[in-house]
Amino acid sequence: MRKPLALLALLSVLAGCVWSFQRGYRGMRRLFPDYEDTGPPADAAEKTEFYFARLRYPNIRASGMWAMRGSWTVDYPKADRQFLQGVRRLTRIQSNSMERIVDLISDDIFNYPWVYVVEPGHWDLPDAQAKKLREFVDRGGFLFTDDFHGTMEWEIFTASLNKSFSDRAIVDIENSDPIFHILYDLDHRVQVPGIVNYPFTRTYEYDGYEPKWRAMRDDKGRIVMGICHNMDQGDAWEWADSPNYPEKYASQAYRTAINYIIYAMTH
Amino acid sequence: MFEFFFKYPWTVYRKGTLVLANPWPLWLLGAGLAAAAAYGLWLFLRKPLPRRRALALAGMEAAVLALLLVFLWQPALSVSMLKPQQNVVSVIVDTSASMALDDRVGQARGVLDGGLLADLRKRFPVRLYQAGRGLERVAQAPASAAQPVTNLGEALRAAAAEAASLPVGAIVLLSDGGDNAGSLGSATMDEVRRTRIPVHTIGFGPERMDRDVELADVQLPARSLPDARLSAVVTLRQAGFEGKTARIAIQDGGKTLAARDVKLPADGVSSREALSFAAGAAGARALQVSVAVLEGERNAKNNALTRLLDVRDRKPRILYFEGEPRWEMKFIRRAAELDKNLDLVSILRTTQNKFYRQGISDPKELEHGFPDSVDELFRYQALIIGNVEAGYFNASQQSMIREFVDRRGGGVLFLGGRAALSDGGWNRSPLAEILPVTLPDRKNTFHRDPATSELTAAGIDSLITRIEEDPTKNSARWKALPYLADYQETGAAKPGAVVLAELNASGRGRFPLLVTQPFGRGRVGLFATGGSWRWQMAQDSRDMSHETFWRQLLRWLAGDVNERVTLASDRQVFSDTALVPLRAEVRDRNYLPATDAVVEAQIMGPSGVAAVVPLLPVKGEPGAYAAEWKAEATGSYLAEAVARQGEDELGRDVFTFRREDGVTENFRTEQNRELLERLSQATGGRYFTPGAAGGLPGEIELSDAGISVKETRDIWSAPAAFLLLAGLKAGAWLLRRRWGAV
Repeated sequence: MRKPLALLALLSVLAGCVWSFQRGYRGMRRLFPDYEDTGPPADAAEKTEFYFARLRYPNIRASGMWAMRGSWTVDYPKADRQFLQGVRRLTRIQSNSMERIVDLISDDIFNYPWVYVVEPGHWDLPDAQAKKLREFVDRGGFLFTDDFHGTMEWEIFTASLNKSFSDRAIVDIENSDPIFHILYDLDHRVQVPGIVNYPFTRTYEYDGYEPKWRAMRDDKGRIVMGICHNMDQGDAWEWADSPNYPEKYASQAYRTAINYIIYAMTH
Repeated sequence: MFEFFFKYPWTVYRKGTLVLANPWPLWLLGAGLAAAAAYGLWLFLRKPLPRRRALALAGMEAAVLALLLVFLWQPALSVSMLKPQQNVVSVIVDTSASMALDDRVGQARGVLDGGLLADLRKRFPVRLYQAGRGLERVAQAPASAAQPVTNLGEALRAAAAEAASLPVGAIVLLSDGGDNAGSLGSATMDEVRRTRIPVHTIGFGPERMDRDVELADVQLPARSLPDARLSAVVTLRQAGFEGKTARIAIQDGGKTLAARDVKLPADGVSSREALSFAAGAAGARALQVSVAVLEGERNAKNNALTRLLDVRDRKPRILYFEGEPRWEMKFIRRAAELDKNLDLVSILRTTQNKFYRQGISDPKELEHGFPDSVDELFRYQALIIGNVEAGYFNASQQSMIREFVDRRGGGVLFLGGRAALSDGGWNRSPLAEILPVTLPDRKNTFHRDPATSELTAAGIDSLITRIEEDPTKNSARWKALPYLADYQETGAAKPGAVVLAELNASGRGRFPLLVTQPFGRGRVGLFATGGSWRWQMAQDSRDMSHETFWRQLLRWLAGDVNERVTLASDRQVFSDTALVPLRAEVRDRNYLPATDAVVEAQIMGPSGVAAVVPLLPVKGEPGAYAAEWKAEATGSYLAEAVARQGEDELGRDVFTFRREDGVTENFRTEQNRELLERLSQATGGRYFTPGAAGGLPGEIELSDAGISVKETRDIWSAPAAFLLLAGLKAGAWLLRRRWGAV
């Protein structure tokens, strides 16, 4: 008799969780509605100096909760396009209004020396792609990673990275580094949360309590990979136009990425 | 033979003046000749022969009569003759080292002792000399030649100078014509000619090069930055080894810096070969450039030359102004960072009113953006103007940029970009004048479309564009470079500008890509793209073509920029001459000619030679100071000029030079017959081969240079005159018989 009762109680709890999750998700979606893709911007065909290139990568084979999230398309394309509007408005960088998608299979990536990777805590680079990523960086390309959180995603991130960058250390960027001052002075940075943290009483996900501005440097000490761990710039760009997303996070996300781009174009 | 028929040598006829010895009136001769002509006409009319035959016979008869008449007036030659034993003949034997080759001096001695000297002495007092650096009197014909230098001009001047106290009737020069001191120019020839002393020359040595490879010349920059890639242009001549392979090499104290095999050119043809090498660390060095001695070469001493190279430990600063963030800047900076002898300072306009500075030496440097004072701008050696519109710079800054090139002697490089060149209004700016191309007078010249690049003939030879050592491979490498991300249309290169590379934009044609030109004291370059970053991103990370090209371009731009004081001379190697002219150009703080400077050169040389030489202002040349100094000992020298204005030191500069003796004697060793003939012709003398030298005493005799008398020599009694008469008479008789007119 005890066993059926226990099973019933467990099912009730599970159903309650699912119901609550769905309710919360629907509630959040009301606040942060899905982006309706209206097609490329009118001036997307313009030939420009700078293109925002987003990396398409293979996902890690995961099960359970981990299989539910993580994709190179997260926040795409609204985050990219909304961020590019800021780049065009705030700097002298002649940039295209639309993102470009690159991968580590074709050589097209070498035409885009600045590449954005979202949720690399879920990537799983085959050896050949890891090798091409190294070649991209060695030729002078810059990689900007964002939106991965906690210990487990870090380990997944570094597992692929170490296939071709085992000789390179990942280090914390000091406050005095030019990357934090090249255009905006970013001495006082805060953790930029994703919208899952709404209403932003807390800003971390999983065990990623502290935001980490990390980097990989080349032999000359130049940052060649900007690694933003435990934060979500992509959401901040995507929802910068939302009254429900705090301006201070959006503002910092724009400033950080703009600094990183100018750094990439000068170092 | 000539003398047998004509009684006297040809020289008498050449030098003599025709006169008539019989004092009978000339009108009588004229009347006689008219009568002879009338007689001829009468005969012509009287002959019952066809016209032509009658004319021939009458003409011959009349000619006989006319000749007899002329002979009655006794035609003769009036010639000036040196008085026997009253005129000195100076015999000069070239005893420079080149006369030792093939025992030329032995041949000269053989000619003299074989009878020439004795013949001369029968008629003239003879003074015998040997000539090397100067003129030295000797008792006997020299048997050896070891003088390190031939200064024929000086020797002739000295011999001619004796005419002031001696009746010098002629100078005889026995030489191979190798005047390596370069003193026998037209000025010296004029000087000797004015003394009216004929110089007769006897040439020795083969007139053509024979089984020899000669390193005729080496062109090498005198100064360089440390670790610079330099090119030595080697000129080779050869005879007897056409098509063979020889190894050319550059060595520094026994260490080979570069070497490669070259195919030798056709006999007598000069060929130029470029050999590039790394300058190495800072310091003055003497580089030995050589071509390997081939088996069977007759002269192994003309296979090497020494050249000086002053590698200066300095780090030119280049200011790069970029109007907006772009990839080109990143990759130019990365290339420059690989060069520890270049300092690239950049200002980037990141937003409308904010700059980002890189490479600055202190926080104050360029804190207000692009320099607005001469002091601030002129501290750089070169300037790169990136993607920025001309209007960004005010009139004063534009004027300063021009002066930066023209007056300061800096280098300016213009890059392509959407706000650069014509699209940035540079075509209508005052700075259009300094650009090496004429910019199109329209907008929309910048295109973000692919364009390939290709070297021109000048680019193949240029060090700026040398990615591969071998010119053919280099040219192919350029063609194989990834396409440029963008390009900008420009107009044609200006006169004096050199197009090193062209771009090929499919659909729009070809345009100059890389153009350089000197302007004022400086230099200007144009690179009509902002998309060479693809050469880095689209090639293997180990490929260094992008970095190599940019480092070389930046070194060209900033590497050899004159500072306030420059010290130089007319050459770097002083062969067989001790006199070293030094010249300093001195500029004040604003790079204007400094007319009130005190300039001194401290000279250090071999074996502890040390001297301080004041350089004095050159009249009519503001800012120029000069001096002459004698470097007696052979070896390498270093001169450092220091210029002061009051208590302030304006600057200093180092010049290295080399003194050597006897080296050039081994070069161009074939007989310079052309020089010897020119000398004789200019002075009224004659050139002789050794075999024909027996005619020299007779030639010398006919001169009015010393104590001379006029002599009249009959020519009517020459056998040729009688033979002519007899021939005409006999011919007429034979023709008459043949034509049945007897």
